[in-house]
Amino acid sequence: MHMEKELKMEDTWKTRDLEKHLRGGVYDEDNIRKKDRRRRDEDGRKGRSGESVERRHRDRDSEAYRERDKYRERDSTRERTKHRDSDKDRDHDRRREGTRERTMDSGERDRERRRERERAGDSSRDWDIDRGSRDRRHERAEKENREREREREKRRAERDQERGTDRDRRREEGREGERERDRERAREREKDRDREKERDYERRRDKDRHREREQGHSSKHLKETDRYNDGLREEYLESKREKERRERHSDREYYRQKEDKEYREHRRREKEERERRHREREEHHPGESRRHDGKPQDSEREHRHREHKESEHHLSGEVESRERRSHSKPRERRHREEGDLENGPAEVTSANILRLGRDREGRETKEKKVENEEDETEKPAAEDHRDEEGADDYEEDFEDYEEDFEELDESDGAGDDKEDGAEEEKKEEELSPQKRREIEEIRRAMDAENERVGSGERWRGVEEVEVSKRDHVHRAHSGVSPSKSIQHGKFIDFVAAKQREVSKKASSKQKKRSAELLRLIDLDFSVSFSLLDLPPVNEYDMYIKNFGTTNTKQAYVQCNEDNTDRETQTEEIEESDKWTQHPGDSNVVCGGPKLTNEASVESMTKMSFDSQRLAAFLHSASQVVAVLLEEDRAEKHSLRQLKSQVDSLSFSDGCLELNTKLPFLHGREVSLISFSQVQRQTMLSVHSPTTKPSAVRLDSQTILCIWNIWEPSCPQKVLVYESEVLCCCFSPGKATLVFAGTAVGSVVVWDLREHSSLHYTLKIGDHDWTLRYPTFSTDAVLAASSHFSSVRSVEPVPANVTEGLRPEFSLLPAHEGVSGLSFQLASLDESGVLNLWVVVELPKANQAGSQTDLGLKPGGKVKLLHSSSITTNERLSKREAVKTVPLRALLLKFLPSDSNHFFIGTDMGVVTHGTRHGLNIPPKFYRPQLAGLRPVHVTSVDISPFGEPVFLVGCADGSVRMHSLRKEQPLMEWTGSTNGEPVVSVQWALTRPAMFCVLDATSNIHIWDLLEKDYEPMTTEKIRSDRVTAMAVFGDPAKQNMFSGISLAVQSGKIEMQYFNKKWAVPTPAELENLQNMLHEAF
Amino acid sequence: MEGPDTVENTYTIRPNYQHKFKAGVVKECIREVLREELSGKQYNPEEVTTMSRSLADSIKERIKEVGFDRYKLVVQVVIGEQRGEGVKMAARCFWDADTDSYAQDIFMNDSLFCVAAAFGCFYY
Repeated sequence: MHMEKELKMEDTWKTRDLEKHLRGGVYDEDNIRKKDRRRRDEDGRKGRSGESVERRHRDRDSEAYRERDKYRERDSTRERTKHRDSDKDRDHDRRREGTRERTMDSGERDRERRRERERAGDSSRDWDIDRGSRDRRHERAEKENREREREREKRRAERDQERGTDRDRRREEGREGERERDRERAREREKDRDREKERDYERRRDKDRHREREQGHSSKHLKETDRYNDGLREEYLESKREKERRERHSDREYYRQKEDKEYREHRRREKEERERRHREREEHHPGESRRHDGKPQDSEREHRHREHKESEHHLSGEVESRERRSHSKPRERRHREEGDLENGPAEVTSANILRLGRDREGRETKEKKVENEEDETEKPAAEDHRDEEGADDYEEDFEDYEEDFEELDESDGAGDDKEDGAEEEKKEEELSPQKRREIEEIRRAMDAENERVGSGERWRGVEEVEVSKRDHVHRAHSGVSPSKSIQHGKFIDFVAAKQREVSKKASSKQKKRSAELLRLIDLDFSVSFSLLDLPPVNEYDMYIKNFGTTNTKQAYVQCNEDNTDRETQTEEIEESDKWTQHPGDSNVVCGGPKLTNEASVESMTKMSFDSQRLAAFLHSASQVVAVLLEEDRAEKHSLRQLKSQVDSLSFSDGCLELNTKLPFLHGREVSLISFSQVQRQTMLSVHSPTTKPSAVRLDSQTILCIWNIWEPSCPQKVLVYESEVLCCCFSPGKATLVFAGTAVGSVVVWDLREHSSLHYTLKIGDHDWTLRYPTFSTDAVLAASSHFSSVRSVEPVPANVTEGLRPEFSLLPAHEGVSGLSFQLASLDESGVLNLWVVVELPKANQAGSQTDLGLKPGGKVKLLHSSSITTNERLSKREAVKTVPLRALLLKFLPSDSNHFFIGTDMGVVTHGTRHGLNIPPKFYRPQLAGLRPVHVTSVDISPFGEPVFLVGCADGSVRMHSLRKEQPLMEWTGSTNGEPVVSVQWALTRPAMFCVLDATSNIHIWDLLEKDYEPMTTEKIRSDRVTAMAVFGDPAKQNMFSGISLAVQSGKIEMQYFNKKWAVPTPAELENLQNMLHEAF
Repeated sequence: MEGPDTVENTYTIRPNYQHKFKAGVVKECIREVLREELSGKQYNPEEVTTMSRSLADSIKERIKEVGFDRYKLVVQVVIGEQRGEGVKMAARCFWDADTDSYAQDIFMNDSLFCVAAAFGCFYY
């Protein structure tokens, strides 16, 4: 770093320094001639403090340079040439002038010192060195001055004579006083220092180089190694600068002619000046030599070297001289160019003026350069040797020698120039091509030499030549700096060699190191690190970023594509929970929890309670009312009827006709009439199917009607079954169930409690008729256990042994609880199979129907379970061989007092006695009195309702028998009472124990009273109007006002209720005992 | 090279753990510097050249303070203007991945983005 910087600084310094040197050098010369002008300038400066500082600086610079040159000049002259002493005198003068100027410009100086102080912080070390060297120099200078002053005093006269016009001018100066000159000299000494400071000031960056320059003066070359490079660069830059300058001033080339005039003038002056100087030098010679002696070692060594080299380089001396001459040419050109500047109209500044002056003097410098160069080279050399005794080497000597040679050569040249400057100029120009060739030769020679020395040395060698050449040029121009550069060159090369050696070592070391390290280290390419990945911003974001947040407001535009209508429910939907039931099983069919939940429950219970009670009340009350109404109506009707019918029926107290003129009953024959044993007023009529077509499509179906005899106007219920019903009965107890056996062998059950909604409602005329189908049917459901032939009889099996002789008769369902639905039903078919069924009431109805009980109607609650089956068709006794054919069962009756015993009427005129559990209890058969069997049907069997162990049997042959339970033979037998007409029905009267009714096929009704007549009926009445198809006795023995009667169904379908009159209805006192006695007698 | 020097050199080919180039620490340094220097700055094409240089220097100084011995530090700073263009920057290094590492951080504001990457190469 440091080295580089230094190099750079050196370069920069060189470029500008050179100019300054040039100026300085020029001015130095110019000074002599332009003394008056300068003085004018100085006066101006004194007068006008605002004058350009630059110019002043330049003045001083130039003076300083000149001063330094003078020193060197002096040294060199002292050491070698004794003929240039005349110059010293002039130096004196000038120095004196300098001191004078210095005093005059003390203000300026102060300013500079201030600047200097500013810089001092940075370059304190340099400064010290500076001061040291300066002091030394000052000492020297002062010594010289003193010497010179003394000499000057002596030689003034001589000088005056010798000097021409110039000298005259100097005289004028001299008139101003030697003191002034001294002052000037001192000032110049000061300027020497100032100049350096100023350089610093102008080029702050060049501090280091500056220091080096100082060191160069004081022979403290620490950075000699770089000099070599400096030189090289210097050379390059120099040429470049020249080029640039040439370019810059190309447009001003045509001014040159104008300038040439001036130039020639200068030349003349220069010549004179040179002459003078030579003279001076000669004069100074003794002093110089003395001084030389004062430093014997240096000078001696130098001499020795010089002598030593002189012999070697004699040959090249000429070449060098020529070369130098060639170098002078560009110098001249430069001067000329600079001179051109002066003519530039716009640039006429004080600087230009100075430059002009300098240019004029440039001519002089050219001639004077010899002396300058000598001085420059000699002085540093001496100093170097003084300070660095051990540093002298070949190179140095070489340089020294060269310079010596140059000096000699150029002094010769200068001598020529003195004779004819213009001529010399021409000569130089002519020589230029030749010189170039020579340069080339030299280079080649140097190259060869350098190659010998070695790779490191070669460079230096070449460079040295170059540098030296350049240095000469520089010296010619600037006077001071070249000497330094030369010195640099000298030491650079040497140290550079060392340096190179060192660096070579270092590099090889490095190389080795790297080689060893590379074995240990793996270098690899890293994956590419993504340092930044900035995705491009899309247009909208950019827009928003730029405009979205600033003072703009985004407006919304609608282009109709999203113009949609939407509706929102703003009011809440009111909702509440409600329940409803269909069909409602109570009066509450709907409700909701929201409507005062608890209250509603309460009210509901209350309501239901009330309604239940009301319903119950109404149910019973309505029946009563209905009955009363019916009775009232029937009373009126029957009264009329009675009157009309008194004639017809002697036993009848009145007649009530049930209203069978219903459309669906039209044309139907009533095949069977039955009364409930508990609810005596309830009657069941079976209307067999009709063949005639009717309005109602129930032709093929059997219709059963449930009647309340007190309400004859219409049937209570209408039951329907598909096939013919052969037998039917009510359930024991309350008449809520109706059982029927059918021609197809099935047993069916109707549950009368079922709601009408479960059944088919047919609207006929103005009335709705509910047609009830069976709740349960064994049709094909219980196939295995069912009947395979027509069911002839169904009978409920009495639950308990004795129900009492007179079970309570009540209009109201008082026995509901007693009625008990769990009872058995027996059914008998033609083949004599007796099936026992258990009637089961289901606790809950299933509306959807049952999966297992396929005979059960959906919603039905009653069903039959097959319990057991008994075959009753036993053969008669073996005695009667004829009876090979099994008996056909036609009728079934259970003994009310003992449900185990049953009696079956057969087709052979006998009644079979059987028990449920298979007990063989005699008599097995109840036969007629006549021996032998006759195929005669037993049409009717009726057991005494008063508990007497007797029963009546009616046969198809017209005979009526009365059997005791214990005897096979009948107690009594009446054969001709009906005139041979088949007996249709035989029934005991319900209110009188000794009375019974017989209906024969010819519609004759025979009424018997066994206590009055036991051989013939008491009365016989013939119903002439129509054939009576069925007869049923009704009556309620439990009632005080006993009513009794017979119900007669005629073929036309009419049902008449014949009330017995008092005679027949009310039993005689002790009638039962009489009967018992009579029966007992009969046995 | 000389006789006695033929003994095999012992090279430090791995940094002391404490002095290893720690990307996280360096990243923090970079982040701090970038935040200090760039917060509130707007992109100015005349300034950014010097700014990036000074940023690089100050980042380097900051990292040096952390004290990564024997590390050669290279700091690269790129400042660009945010104009919505996509920018992609990547780096690839030929180095010893065991010792050398890098850290990078990005500073962004509305007008500029700055990417600073510091590479640390170990001096063996």
